[in-house]
Amino acid sequence: MTETPNNSELRRVDDVVWEIPMREGMRVPGRVYADDVLMESLQGDQSLDQVRNVAHLPGIQRYSLAMPDIHFGYGFPIGGVAAFAVDEGVVSPGGVGYDINCGVRLLATDLERSALEGSMKRMVDQLFRDVPSGVGAHGAIQTLSRREMAEVLEQGAGWAVRHGYGRPDDLERTEAHGALPGADPEAVSERAYARGDSQVGTLGSGNHFLEIQVVDQVFDPVAARAYGLFEGQVTVMIHCGSRGFGYQVCDDYLGIMSQAAQRYGIALPDRQLACAPVDSPEGRRYLAAMACAANYAWANRQMIMHLTEEALLRALSMAPRDLNLRLVYDVAHNIAKLEDHTVDGVVRRLCVHRKGATRAFGPGHPEVPEPYRAVGQPVLIPGDMGTASFVCRGSTRAMEQTFGSTCHGAGRVLSRAAALRRAKGRAIDRELAAGGITVRSQGRKTLAEEMPEAYKDVERVVAVMDRAGISPRVARLRPLGVVKG
Amino acid sequence: MGVPAPWTEQDKSGVYRELEHPADLWLEIRGDDPAGLCENSLYALYASMVGAEGVRPSEERTLVAEGADLGEALRGLLAGALYRFDTEGFVGAAAAVQVEWETSSETEPSRVAACARVWGEILDPGRHEPLAEIKAVTYHLLAAAPDPGGGWRATVLFDL
Repeated sequence: MTETPNNSELRRVDDVVWEIPMREGMRVPGRVYADDVLMESLQGDQSLDQVRNVAHLPGIQRYSLAMPDIHFGYGFPIGGVAAFAVDEGVVSPGGVGYDINCGVRLLATDLERSALEGSMKRMVDQLFRDVPSGVGAHGAIQTLSRREMAEVLEQGAGWAVRHGYGRPDDLERTEAHGALPGADPEAVSERAYARGDSQVGTLGSGNHFLEIQVVDQVFDPVAARAYGLFEGQVTVMIHCGSRGFGYQVCDDYLGIMSQAAQRYGIALPDRQLACAPVDSPEGRRYLAAMACAANYAWANRQMIMHLTEEALLRALSMAPRDLNLRLVYDVAHNIAKLEDHTVDGVVRRLCVHRKGATRAFGPGHPEVPEPYRAVGQPVLIPGDMGTASFVCRGSTRAMEQTFGSTCHGAGRVLSRAAALRRAKGRAIDRELAAGGITVRSQGRKTLAEEMPEAYKDVERVVAVMDRAGISPRVARLRPLGVVKG
Repeated sequence: MGVPAPWTEQDKSGVYRELEHPADLWLEIRGDDPAGLCENSLYALYASMVGAEGVRPSEERTLVAEGADLGEALRGLLAGALYRFDTEGFVGAAAAVQVEWETSSETEPSRVAACARVWGEILDPGRHEPLAEIKAVTYHLLAAAPDPGGGWRATVLFDL
């Protein structure tokens, strides 16, 4: 290990791994995945302090981890992974985030890019009309009754499929089959119900998007074939989460956990790390409520997939069998899950927090869908709307090093205010159009805030985890048409 | 109490400004006193979500919140306003706020209670331009205290 010139505490482990040594109060060291350029960009950033702070929490195993898209979050950094022993560790809403089960769904088609010549604007306009997006978006389906909401919270994507919004085999290709067990609708506040009952099937705003893409490069032909991807193929990516429902669940439980941490005598270096023992009434109740929000998000993305298929069929005047829209995979990147991992040679039940991090289970894992089991699960990494997104694959090394986890996106590099300043006097939609990307947005402000320069170089972020052997690249997807909220 | 003058008829310049934050909306808000600080914070929230222009004070909602300190009570008020926006589309155009400190005793810590009467209307996409979807009012970097330069100052980070 060698010291870096800019941070005497940070020690280089190898090409792309850095260690934050233990200091007083830390129970484990920190580990950061970054190359020199990304690490340089983190100097002076408080997110590394947050990696240290997470390492103080009881029951944390091996390392407090940071992925290369790390940035400053609430208590836990975005791009953070932390696993806690179920029998002696904690669960923290701040380790999941407000948008519980924010995630990504990738759809494949039988179309090649050449078949869309002259159709892109029509497709994007139709998606923009048919998939509710933007501030306070609602109304994809009629407002759900209390009983229907409870069904959504317990059944997740399965609820949508059973109501005709998708196919049964979609569930096989969704992380956790689109529903976490243990969801308890009684653990959720009236406010959460009220915020969520009209938002199923809506995209929302901010960094959420619906994107028509083309597979422009395949890096791993074997895995790409297993995932049903080929060069020149048209794909669709959906990025969104649990909408107001999930935000409210997080908000409610931050207050509860703040009191619980005091009651259990858990010393917190930052009150946003509020937590309770996993095996406590507060911990179990949060996990039951969080599962409701996670399931809501899976139902939401399932519904949006259905709306997307209908919109594309309409825009292209095409029969379903010709489009052959199908689910490649759906991953969560804001979640806490109970998983078995080997720690010091012993299989332990852990509560793995992934906040801005994606599960990356490797070959042979029973939770990887059977058609993908030989190569590992698809890992979906959205980039900015002007560059690219990536399909990677989970690996055995991820199981050994990162509790089966990897990065989740590009990560912001400009504040929204800075992005607005940089966009002043420019027409971002026209700039994207000049690059062959058709974009529709509810507001010009969102478009400016989400401009490509606002994000880190996704190629670099993904390359770090490829070089680390955590999530090798499978394919790159270039945006053709983008719908932003 | 009558309806106070709408924010569009008041000079609200400089009552809040955006601070640099890599991902979300971090605001610094100022007020003459705790009640004014809360009122200006509500103004800042609505102005960030929709913009105060063209919002009419035609309906009234009451928001109540309490906390261990002014920051927590202020956060509760803003979270209540966000809830009303998300569930009803209610956007404020004017507000009157009362803040009370509950007397502390040897056994009970002091509490701060805030009550806001907010006048506004339901979001009309034809007349109001949505600006940003705010997910939550966080506890992160939350502060509300007297400003050494005079008046009161708060910082609030909104999750986008």
